[in-house]
Amino acid sequence: MSMHLQHLIVSHSGQTLVNVSELQLEPGRPLTIVGESGSGKSLLAHAIMGTLPGSLTARGSLTADGTTYDLADPSNRRRLWGRVMSLLPQEPMLALDPTMRAQEQVAEGAATFGTDPGSARGRARGMLAALGLGGAARSFPHTLSGGMAQRVAFAAATIADAPMLIADEPSKGLDEAARADLAELLKRHLHGGGILLTITHDLDLARELGGDVLVMKEAEIIEQGPARRVLETPAHPYTRRLIAAEPAHWAHSWMRRPAGDETKPALITAEGLTKAFDGKTLFADLSLTVRAGERVAISGPSGCGKTTLGNVLLRLARPGSGQVHHAETLGGGRLQKLYQDPALSFPASVPLRDSFGDVIRRHQVPPSRLDELMDALRLAPALLTRQPGQVSGGELQRLAIIRTMLLEPALVFADEPTSRLDLITQEETIRCLMDQVGRQDCALLLVTHDKTLAGAVADRQLALTPEEAPRGTVTPREAVTAIA
Amino acid sequence: MNQLVRHESFLVPAALVLRQRVIQAVAVALFVSAACFAIVQSLPGDIAFRIAAGRYGYDQVTAASAEAVRADLGLDRPAWLQLLDWLASLARFDLGTSLVTGGNVAGELALHLSGSLQLAAAALVLAFLAGTAAGTLAAFRPGGTLDRALTFWVSAARALPPFLLGLVLILVFSVHLGVLPATGHGESTNIVLPALTLATGLSGLFARVSRDAVIRIRQSDYVRFAATKGLGGRLIFIRHVLRNTGVTLVPYIGVQAIILIEGVVVIESLFAWPGLGHALVHAIFWRDVPMIQATALALALLVVLLNTATDLAVLAIDPRPRTSQAAS
Amino acid sequence: MTQTITPTPGGTPDTTLPSPALQNDAPPANRWYSGRSTGQLLAMSGLALLVLFALLGPLLWTEHAVQDLSRFLEPPSLADPLGRDHLGRSVVARLAHATRLSLLLAVLGVVTALAAGTLAGIVAAWRGGWVDASLNAMSEALIALPAILVVLLFSAMANGELWTLYAGLALAQWVEYFRMVRARSSLVLAGPAVEAAGLLKLGRAHILRRHLWPELRPLLATMATFGIGSSILALSTLGFVGIGIRPPTPELGLMITEAFPYYNEAPWMSLAPVLVLTTTLIGLLGLRNKESRA
Repeated sequence: MSMHLQHLIVSHSGQTLVNVSELQLEPGRPLTIVGESGSGKSLLAHAIMGTLPGSLTARGSLTADGTTYDLADPSNRRRLWGRVMSLLPQEPMLALDPTMRAQEQVAEGAATFGTDPGSARGRARGMLAALGLGGAARSFPHTLSGGMAQRVAFAAATIADAPMLIADEPSKGLDEAARADLAELLKRHLHGGGILLTITHDLDLARELGGDVLVMKEAEIIEQGPARRVLETPAHPYTRRLIAAEPAHWAHSWMRRPAGDETKPALITAEGLTKAFDGKTLFADLSLTVRAGERVAISGPSGCGKTTLGNVLLRLARPGSGQVHHAETLGGGRLQKLYQDPALSFPASVPLRDSFGDVIRRHQVPPSRLDELMDALRLAPALLTRQPGQVSGGELQRLAIIRTMLLEPALVFADEPTSRLDLITQEETIRCLMDQVGRQDCALLLVTHDKTLAGAVADRQLALTPEEAPRGTVTPREAVTAIA
Repeated sequence: MNQLVRHESFLVPAALVLRQRVIQAVAVALFVSAACFAIVQSLPGDIAFRIAAGRYGYDQVTAASAEAVRADLGLDRPAWLQLLDWLASLARFDLGTSLVTGGNVAGELALHLSGSLQLAAAALVLAFLAGTAAGTLAAFRPGGTLDRALTFWVSAARALPPFLLGLVLILVFSVHLGVLPATGHGESTNIVLPALTLATGLSGLFARVSRDAVIRIRQSDYVRFAATKGLGGRLIFIRHVLRNTGVTLVPYIGVQAIILIEGVVVIESLFAWPGLGHALVHAIFWRDVPMIQATALALALLVVLLNTATDLAVLAIDPRPRTSQAAS
Repeated sequence: MTQTITPTPGGTPDTTLPSPALQNDAPPANRWYSGRSTGQLLAMSGLALLVLFALLGPLLWTEHAVQDLSRFLEPPSLADPLGRDHLGRSVVARLAHATRLSLLLAVLGVVTALAAGTLAGIVAAWRGGWVDASLNAMSEALIALPAILVVLLFSAMANGELWTLYAGLALAQWVEYFRMVRARSSLVLAGPAVEAAGLLKLGRAHILRRHLWPELRPLLATMATFGIGSSILALSTLGFVGIGIRPPTPELGLMITEAFPYYNEAPWMSLAPVLVLTTTLIGLLGLRNKESRA
């Protein structure tokens, strides 16, 4: 069977959010829609499925297996759910019922569950075992890792043999290894003759899946074609901009720097650091020196303890054993931190102007300095009248950069500062950060899960590997940036 | 194997809950007992005269009998020694004798306890069933007629003091319609009005919590995922919505324990229902301190007991780890 | 990540319990009346009238204790808008004095509980250690005690003098403020915003003013309105069952009990205190915004 989508328009009180004239889905050939948040790509998936929020209206038609469905009526596809089309949800951990065991949640999707629950459970057990989850069949979701929950959700979504699978941002929150597993999982569905539509902002996932890629921007499809062609020789300026924003393709002046200068004074000296959490060793006997003006990245998969290490180095957390020494130049607020979620790093219900005012008054910074920095980071002064929750993530992170720079810091610790941002916003944010870091000759300690980003930004990298904790390997910058 | 895992995950937190609740019970007992001692100390006039009057009647009190009481109870010693004595007799579960009836307090307590338990259980069951049913139904059409009626009900139940509600019910069912007795004990219909009054106040919170929980759960990712898996509406309701609503609701029975016990005190007095609350109010009126202590203790410990039961029930039905410990 | 349930809402500090009554997302208001619903404005004017009655009433109708048995259940007149009671006392004078007494005791009790609970909560969350442990242990015992039980026990002390009721109300309530403030403050103090403020060396005053107070203020306001309502209710309940404030001092609950036997002959006598009581409670409930109501 194949699926054919025609003249789809999704709108919200007169505003068009998705406008796609035609889409053809064939068995065995994956179709991946990429684009930034707000481009309408997720809405496209939900319009096909019939799961749009009630406030949105859809128009158009979907032809599946010779039957045509009017997309304006979301209920006419309900009977297809599970049997003909199925949705792999965005955050599998939230999509699993917290009070029900994994196997039961898979089994209830089977077509035979109503008539013969025993065989449905047997089938579910078999599927989970085939996905390497035999031991977790009777586990509750909260005991599963993100990747495991993803596989349980995959089993639950596909147990009724729906030929068409829609995956909505399936790699959200997964690290590299888990993403590779996910790509395998999706390919497995294709090899069985299934249709696959994947919605993602993750260009690496699109590369791994292959097939066709479709780029969306502001409700429209701006470019489409085979994955290789679109992602390697993009035609549309926006696609080129998007691909250039991947850290692997960056070319900034601040990236070409000689290796760290050993003669500069040490700011942070750490010796014999050990830390365990939940009985698991995060790192053991680790020593590290960060010198003035140096750029060091700590990278590793999620849960490896990289943020904890950063906090230990800043003396915000205590190590299990070992010592951290700070140079005197770091006193008086010259040691600053940027957070993964900038909204949480400002007092929540206070206008930004007051938050900045407190810093300026306390440290007697000339108020004109704030205006200069706002200007340099291309931020409108009007933003300051808002509360942190009313400013976009990218702008707020830039405001956070300004806040740290007001104190002319000797070292900034940036903890996953861009992991919640789109590619283009990420590049802009990092550029602003590196401009300021370079201008003030301030040292940078960057924590990130993204090795490519770490390589692009840092003079040297510390890669934390989970389990085999004692080995913190320091790679020279050249080895990593060679990929770029 | 699996059984073992389940036991491990239940028994350890259950033991922690029990330990914490036992400590709480002891602390509560200490507080109530110390407060009762303070009542004795603060009473005007000679406490010995009062107690003697309680024992022998006002006409029979003489200086000699008061002196006997004073020596008997050790009332001439320093206050802190008396307090230690007071607490020591509590630790021996010696609740003393009533100053009014002269009877054994422990014996009278048993009678009052059964009366209160009957009333509380009837009201709790009634409130839980009616409240959750109404809340669940209202959740299926937020903003609909039933939902708006429910919102009004919840506000009204909260704005109307329980004793006024009781008065209104007495006026309607007992005085005007004459279908139900207002006060008394023994007839099976006696419990209807007090239980109804108590349940009305409690039902509001159950209705609101179940309504909000059902609405939230029906919009949850896992219910939506269940739908796209192909499950029908009825199956989703039974397998996911009811189950999770139950997990949300059970802790609220513990929250209601305090409101329930407060209600018991008021409603029993209003309907002259023989129970702990009624006895406590009487005892306070006559300053019958041993009786005050016994009934207040029983009421407070009932709250702790009900909370312990809901704690354990939550541990048994909710597989997720307790977050309160992680947070504290 | 996962939605979590706190199994012991009555006993352990819980911050995850969904408690709509503790959410206040009112938009910032420029004028005191802007952004408020008709219901809230109505509630405010009702309460304002009541406060006016409590303040001016006792000055206008001073003779609340004078008995005149010849004026038994006299119907309302211009001089006595609510008539006379079974002992020939002016009902309106008694009502005014009773309203003033209830409001005064309730507000005093809540203000004391709020101040003590907030201070103790912030200190416990900030200092931790034995200060936190001992304050928390004390709150564990009190949280299991129904407020009315504490007030009842206190009312039996010192022969029912007024201060015992005030002390009972304050003691029964401070623990709610303490637990809320402690739980919230611990969360805020452990959060990234306060960590950042520490790195920026902004000082304790900044953390109190910009981080803790904005977070606590709306919750405290909601709890205080609720607390005043339940204090007035507790006082009138005590009066109603015949303990608490001693006759002949007029009290709302006591007036309802006294008037009930004459419900058929003089309904105004019962209805007047009921009206004052329900206006207060509905008014206080109506003050809250839509989301936190019900």
